[in-house]
Formats: sequence, structure tokens, C-alpha cells
Amino acid sequence: MSNVVNRGPKGNQLRLLSREEVEAVHNAALDVLKDTGIDCYSDKILGIFEEAGADVDREKRRVRIPEHLIDEAINKAPSKILFCGRDSKNDILLEGSRVYYGFGGTPTPLILDHRTDEFRRPGKKDMIETTLVGDALSNMDFMMTNAGVFDVPYEAEYLHEFEILLNYTQKPILYSAPSAYLAEKYLEMGAIVAGSLKELQRRPFIALYTEPASPLMLTKSQENLIGFAKANIPIAIAPMPLSGGTAPGTVMGSCVVGTSETLAAITLIQLVNPHAPVIYGGWGLTMDPRSGMCAYGSPEFAMGANAIMAQMARFYNLPSYGFGGCADGKLPGPQSGAEVMMNALVAGQSGVNLIHDCGYLAGGMVGSIEQAVIANEIVGMAKRIIQGVRVDDDHLAVDVIREVGPGGNFVTQKHTREHVGEFLLSELFDRNSFGTWQSGGAKDTRTVAKERIEKILKQHKPEPLGQEIRERLSEVVKEGERELTTKQRKAEG
Amino acid sequence: MKDTETRCRDEQEILEGLKQAVLNFEPDEAVEMAKKAIDDGIDPSEAIEKGVGRALSIVGKKYEEGELFIIHLAAAGEAGSRAINEVLKPEIEKRGDKAPSRGKIVIGTVSGDIHEIGKTIVSAMLLANGFEVIDLGKDVPVDTFVDKVRHESPHILGLSALLSTTIPIQRDVIEALKKEGLRDKVKVMVGGAPVTDEWAKEIGADAYGTDAIDAVNKAKSLVEAS
Repeated sequence: MSNVVNRGPKGNQLRLLSREEVEAVHNAALDVLKDTGIDCYSDKILGIFEEAGADVDREKRRVRIPEHLIDEAINKAPSKILFCGRDSKNDILLEGSRVYYGFGGTPTPLILDHRTDEFRRPGKKDMIETTLVGDALSNMDFMMTNAGVFDVPYEAEYLHEFEILLNYTQKPILYSAPSAYLAEKYLEMGAIVAGSLKELQRRPFIALYTEPASPLMLTKSQENLIGFAKANIPIAIAPMPLSGGTAPGTVMGSCVVGTSETLAAITLIQLVNPHAPVIYGGWGLTMDPRSGMCAYGSPEFAMGANAIMAQMARFYNLPSYGFGGCADGKLPGPQSGAEVMMNALVAGQSGVNLIHDCGYLAGGMVGSIEQAVIANEIVGMAKRIIQGVRVDDDHLAVDVIREVGPGGNFVTQKHTREHVGEFLLSELFDRNSFGTWQSGGAKDTRTVAKERIEKILKQHKPEPLGQEIRERLSEVVKEGERELTTKQRKAEG
Repeated sequence: MKDTETRCRDEQEILEGLKQAVLNFEPDEAVEMAKKAIDDGIDPSEAIEKGVGRALSIVGKKYEEGELFIIHLAAAGEAGSRAINEVLKPEIEKRGDKAPSRGKIVIGTVSGDIHEIGKTIVSAMLLANGFEVIDLGKDVPVDTFVDKVRHESPHILGLSALLSTTIPIQRDVIEALKKEGLRDKVKVMVGGAPVTDEWAKEIGADAYGTDAIDAVNKAKSLVEAS
């Protein structure tokens, strides 16, 4: 096993808020949590807040959280997390402003089939292919999904998806589990792959994505974080306040709601288990006022989900979680390309640790591996800009200039060959001469991306899990499916 | 005692005021103007049609033309439905009349889902367009939908869901209606961000509304066709 950790480039160039403004957001969130409070649709969670001394109105399910509980929670939560891959060469270190990008997000209701150009509901086979492609893309540092599994009983969808991720990627896995039951099953499956819970804790290659409901609600599904908190496995907290819909109609109002919800969840996690690792996703997201849709590709979204959020995370000294590589455009093309470039670069330059949703189209309605392959190329460019340039005598190259002199050329210089690594070569985008492009078949980017997918699917073989582990995972899924479907049928009477 | 002409003019002014209140997105003012209409002896059904209804059709048209946004549609819908629910409808009932209705709709967000902004906008627009709306709110159990269909005999049942984990419940409700022998008694409409035409067909829904305006139009045609 190698000891190399992928230390991502540090993006800390973009700051929109002054220190005073950061404090103003924090103070606003403290006001909201103390005066307005949050509603809690879980008796268990209400009980935890009550026991800790928060002001709990059981009848109205309202929790008002005093400042000291929030401060204590922020201080207890670790400032860095080693988010591991099943293979340690994929480990990523979440700290400070190090930047990593993630393939996909939560399961998408539709995929864009790269073979037929149809939008359709995905099934198990699609999610396997999707995961293989994500695992192969060099700029994708952690894994979520660009599909979903909808050809199984719906109660068991997430179990099947999680099993596929465990089987087909060796990169760190961040995934949602919208119930306490599913979260427990994820831990069980993670422990099977690791060998034991202790091994999983030593090298956590799974993390939970949990989503408080906006505005200001913790639902029963947030009970999912109790098991993960107790087990000390990382939890990313990410509510979806939308400006003008589930949050005030301003970027900063939306940020205040997102900050409040995230702080409430962090407080809950630290009450369950002090020092449990959390990842901060206090987003202030955007609703397009005209259509009412969540506007992933808008400039305000890029700021609220990344630049401002990252500054708050840095203020709290917590790892951060943002968005990039996602689009409102329905097809790969001009709109989605521009949107991806904008949010991937803004997120990177803001120093967001985990930047997710690469490959999303149509505001998350559609997952597309074709778009993900294109986003991977754009993310490479963003990463390159974040790395910046070196300024020293060797790079200023005055000696080389003297040697070549006016009218000469630098093509054959040893210095040129030695520094060729400074330039990021495109893998997908065409920078050839017009003639070369034309004689190579005059292919458009989508065609090249599709060819790349087929090549990956033919060649890429992640190290499979041992047969016994695979069988045990499939047992857990089968048993879980049985339990979940009978529970549902019982509930329906 | 006012002469007929003055009376007519006053009536016009009050109805215009009600319309303007809705167009200005002022719910309190809309309620006030509705009260004024009743005090002035205007028929509440006429106030719904010529005040609220006309305002909403202007807003709907401007929304479709891209001049107004979903936030305006929602605000106008709220102003209109408050005037109807708080003043005009109770007045009609007090008089022992029946409010003129384009049709009856039971609507709600399915169980497991607490997202109801979209559903509430649709509800308000339906109400403002002359439908009788029974809004069951959010996180509504399958059985509740079935019971309401049985006891309220609505023309349409509207099922909203935002999450990919909860849209399957739309299918569950349709299946439950079949099991109870109620499926042919009601038209089922589905809506919500993850819903597509394909999904609506797959689960056997009668219509799918892409947005609030589309939902109202589809509801009108479903009722007219039945």
C-alpha cells in the first residue's frame, strides 16, 4: 500500500466577503437559531436537543439553539478529514482550501443515453457503466452518481446504488441515505468491504450526505446522521435553501438560512458524538425567479454555493462542500459548457474541498456521462488555473532569452523541453490546426466524448472486491430490500 | 339612496379595486376590497369572476409571455385565494348558495415529502380559476387520498412530489385507487420537479402539469372532457 496522499491544489484566490461581512453572516445565523429556531420532525432529535439544554417546544416541534451550544460544536468538530479511497492512491485530504471535484451528485431521475441521445429513466446497468466512467476520469477525485437505479423496488433504490458504488469505484464515496435505516446499512456494507467497522473508521472511504429541509427543518430522514456520527464516519451537511422560494429572495438571505440549517445539524452531530467529523455545506442557493427552478448554472448560485460558503467554512475551520461542473442546460453544448466552466472555476478558486455534481444537466434532473467527460476536461483547466504559475529566475528565463536573442526561436531550446510539463494538454478539446481537425474527421466535442466513453468502458477495470465480500454485500442488499418492501406494504395496510 | 348609474359606477370601481389588489400582489388589500364588495351589495360570485378571476388571467398571460415570473404568479394566487377563502366563499355559503365551480379538485403532496411550495401555487391558481379546491397539505398518506376520493367525489386528484424517492408514491396512490375500485371515478394529475410526461404515462396518470398555468389548463380540459 502506498502512503501517497492526493493533496489537492489550494484555491484561495476568490473572496467576496470581508472579515466583517463573514462575521455578520455568522451573527445573523446565531440570531435565526436563537430567536426563530428550527422545526424538528423527529422525536429522537428533539430529545437530543432538549437534553443538551436547547429551548425545545415539544408541541410545536420548535428548537431554539443558544449560541454556546453552536460555538462548542464548531470547536469540537475536526478541521481536517482524510477521506480515503478503497485504494489508498485515491485518498484525499480535506483541509484548508485544498480543492477536489466529485463525479455527480444524488441519483438523477433521468439520464442522457450517450448511445441513443435519448433521455430515459436509468437502471442498474446504467449506474454500473456510469460509475465505471466516473472511476476512470482523472480529474474526478470522489464519487457520487450521474444515474440512479429505478429498475428495482423503489424502497431499495439507495441500497442497490450504494452496492454498485462499492463494487465499481476505488475512489472515496459520498452518498445520501434518506433514512436512519439506510445509513445503518451503509455502515454495515462499508464495514464488510473494510473488513470491520474499526478498519472503516481507520480509513473511511464512505461519507454520508445529509440534507436538512429548507427553510429551517430537520426531518425524520436526518436521523440518518445519528448512526454515522456515533460511528465517527464523515457527514457532509448540505441543505438546499433557494432564494425567493425556501429562503429570502436575496443571495445573502439564502446564505443565512443555509448557514443556520448547517450549524443546527453540526450542533446535533457534536451532541451525538463530540469530535465526529463533519463537512460544512452551508449553501445559499438560487431559485430562478421566472421558472421557480433551482438555478445551478446561475452566477448567484456559484457565489452562494461556493465563494461565500467556503469563506464561512474557513471561518469555522471546517472542511467544505460545494458545487461545480453542473449545468441547467439540457444537453451538452454551449450553455452547459459555459455554466460548468463558471461554477467549476469559481468553486476551485474559492478553495472548496469537495466540489460535487460534475456531469449534472438540467439542474440535476439528468445525469450524463457524456457531459461528465466534458466536465472532467473543464475541471482540469480549472485545477490548472488554481495551481497558478511559478515566478523564479528559471521561469523568468532571462538567460534563455539572452541566448536565443532577437529574431531567434525557442522551439529547440532544452529549457522549453524541460518546462513542457507546465502546460496542461487537452485530452478532449481540440487545439490542432484547422486542417488537422478537418482531416481527422471534423468531429465535434460530443462525438469525441462518446468515443472516450466507449474506450473507457472497454478498458477500465477497477480492482474488483473479493468474491466473498461481493456475496455478503449482495446478501445485505437482498435482506434490506425484503425488510424495506414489507415495511412499506405493512404501512399501506 | 344611490341612483342606478352611481351604483353601477361604484360597483365597477370596487371590482376594479379588487382586481388591482390582486394585480399589485396585496393580499390584505384584496381581502378588504372583497369585504367592500359584499358591503356594497355586489354578488360574491361576480366578485370572484370579475375581480379575482380577471386579475389572475392577466397575471397568467403575462407569466406565459415571460413578463411576470413564478414569484408574481404565486403572490397573485395568494392574494386571490385569500379574498375568495376569507370573504367571498363564506359569503356565498352564508347565503345558502353554491359557489359556481368549474370542478372539484383534491390536491396534496404525497407521503414522505414535505415540499409543498409548488403544490400550493397550483392550488391557488386552481382556486382563482374557479375550481373548488381541497388542499390536503404535505406528507399526505396514501389512504387519506383514497378516503378523500371516496367521500368527496372530486373530478380530479392532484398528486405532487419533489423527490425522486417520493414520486413512486404517486404510483402507489393510483394503484390504491384501482384496488379500491375508485380509479375510474376520478382523473389523476401529477406534478413536481422530477415528474416527466413519460413518468405520468408509465404510472397511468391522466395528465401532468409542467407548471401552475399548464396544470390549470390541463385541469380545465380534463373536466370539460369528463
